[in-house]
Amino acid sequence: MNTALTTPVNSNPIQIGKIICVSTVVAILLAVGLGFVYIKNQQFSIGEQIRQTESKIHRVRAENDVLLAKVTEMTSRSALQERVKSGYIAVVTITGDKIARLTPPVQADETSALRTAFNEVGRQ
Amino acid sequence: MKFTANTRIGTACGIAAIIFTIFSARLVHLHVAKHEEYSRLAAQKHSTRQPIHAKRGMILDRNGEILATNLPVRTLFADASHMKNPEALSSLVSSHLDLDQKEVLEKFLTGKKYIVLKRKVPEETALALLKDMQEKNLRGIYYEEDAIRIYPNSEVLGHVLGFLNHEGRAVQGVEMSMNGQLAGKDGYRFIERDRTGREIVLYRGVEEDPQHGKNIRLTIDMGLQSIVEEELDAAYKNLKPETANAVLVDPKSGAILAMACRPCFNPNEPGKSQPEQMKNRTIIDMVEPGSTFKIVVAAGALNEGKVDEKTTIFCENGRFAYGGRILRDHHGYGHMDVNEILVKSSNIGSAKLALLMGGDKFYEYVRRFGFGERLGIELPGEIPGLVHPPTRWDKLTITRMPMGHSIAVTPLQITMGMAVIANGGRLMAPRVIQSVEKENGEVTMKKEPIVMRDVVPEKTAQFVADALVGVTQPGGTAAFARVNGFQVAGKTGTAQKVSPQGGYAAGKYVVSFVGFMPAEDPKFVLLVMVDDAKIASNLNYGGLVAAPIFSRIAERAARHLDLTPTMPAIPLQPTPIASTSPAEERRD
Repeated sequence: MNTALTTPVNSNPIQIGKIICVSTVVAILLAVGLGFVYIKNQQFSIGEQIRQTESKIHRVRAENDVLLAKVTEMTSRSALQERVKSGYIAVVTITGDKIARLTPPVQADETSALRTAFNEVGRQ
Repeated sequence: MKFTANTRIGTACGIAAIIFTIFSARLVHLHVAKHEEYSRLAAQKHSTRQPIHAKRGMILDRNGEILATNLPVRTLFADASHMKNPEALSSLVSSHLDLDQKEVLEKFLTGKKYIVLKRKVPEETALALLKDMQEKNLRGIYYEEDAIRIYPNSEVLGHVLGFLNHEGRAVQGVEMSMNGQLAGKDGYRFIERDRTGREIVLYRGVEEDPQHGKNIRLTIDMGLQSIVEEELDAAYKNLKPETANAVLVDPKSGAILAMACRPCFNPNEPGKSQPEQMKNRTIIDMVEPGSTFKIVVAAGALNEGKVDEKTTIFCENGRFAYGGRILRDHHGYGHMDVNEILVKSSNIGSAKLALLMGGDKFYEYVRRFGFGERLGIELPGEIPGLVHPPTRWDKLTITRMPMGHSIAVTPLQITMGMAVIANGGRLMAPRVIQSVEKENGEVTMKKEPIVMRDVVPEKTAQFVADALVGVTQPGGTAAFARVNGFQVAGKTGTAQKVSPQGGYAAGKYVVSFVGFMPAEDPKFVLLVMVDDAKIASNLNYGGLVAAPIFSRIAERAARHLDLTPTMPAIPLQPTPIASTSPAEERRD
């Protein structure tokens, strides 16, 4: 009987358990690494989105501030007085009966109780 | 001595433990105690500090009307190291920013990392440029945020508001005095950029939010301010004086309701104005007050008991020899009581009242009325005026000072002096700041009225106030100050102008009228002062020049404040300045 064929020489058995263990560790490490890279990429991408959104918000705020400044200028007392002078807008008198007063109304007589005595033509 | 193996092992372990403990302690120290310091150092090494500008606070009037605000602009700069196509970029930049393309290209070719292209670029221009760059795939132009200060009412209230210079520093007015509150504190952020110059948000470092400036609410009422400005403008055009000032004050609180000077300037364009235009003359100019000052001697003499309501003073029929010089009145008067002295504005009567009081007492009252001291208004540059103590007086001073000569005061001091009479003898500190508020309107500081001192008792003040009503009645020196429907109390002043060469300038007068209304319950004190009006010298008197302006302002102010008239209407009279004949009321 030839025993050489049946008897293993320098036998190196495959240790399935260890391979699985190492492979698992490698796979986990790979997954963690890839996950890390993916998350990092996501972070950069979100960071970029944050930057763009911040930039947009900032731009909108700045535009809002510009518009507010323009509104302030256009509705300033001086600007409105200029417009009244030029006739672009008119001041409409509110009649006495439309005014709710906390104090009793004063009846102006013919000369108008609140007219200055002397100075209506003082600027001529 | 022999060590056993255990002892040696124990010793070695102990030493190792101590070493590791020391290292651990150092690590903890570095990570915990020194965290801030080293993170900042690390940030500085790898990143750039990006400033986050604080917004400057607004200035508002008492009703919330915006008087000063900010317009966002940008400073555009280039980083030549980021450019791929400088030629195309220079062409784009020059067309948007209105710059010379050749010069821009030369700058780009220097390869510098920070080239300022243009400051104060409007937001829309900057955005249009950046958008075009994006479309043409160009890079290398960046911006820094900036803001310019705008004053929507231009010249109106310019002296009170002040302005910022081209570097953004507050130069005068409320901008300067309240700069600490208005400016806020810039924040910062440490950032890293990628090779294209874009920020890498992931590597943002230490960050500190900006503290925006607070809003300042003034005591100024823009309704009244515009009335004062309009009337002062009209007077400035008609009378062509060197300067004209008006101050409107609430006597009970010391709140400045309006303050205006001519000439004026536009704080939006300070570079186009001369320094003379920028002076707030109501607090930095000294003038001899003239007869408005007679209220001081009258109140003092009454309060000291030197005279009473019925005491008469002989006014020497218009010529009083004292100290080797003759003191004159405009008309020869005989015996007059204090009331008449004020109504007729007798120089001799006032001088005699001061003589009765004595120099020291008179000086004491001058100081108690607030003359010769800074009143503490929250505006930079206020001067105390010039009031010499009796030890420095010459023989004539005691007869000249009661009529407002030999003394220099600010227009604000004259106004506050009259406010003492209007406020029952109490001197209030003038104030132009009402409150300091956060951006959301929350009040962080509210300025309450401050009583500086009780100058004279209420009874004395009331007596002087009653006499001052007579000044605006027919026969008084300021009949043109009357306002239909109200009792007006006030005093005229006409002082010859002091010449810079010494002595007085011939034919040049500073005329004024300071009064309050309604006399029985004053709502405001108003001073109108006109310096060297270009009219005939026989018309250049406080009662003829300043009093009508007072009347016009006071009438419109009464409408604005909705004051209820207490007097019957009186017939209209012709305006004094239009009159060709010298008015009979020509007195100072």
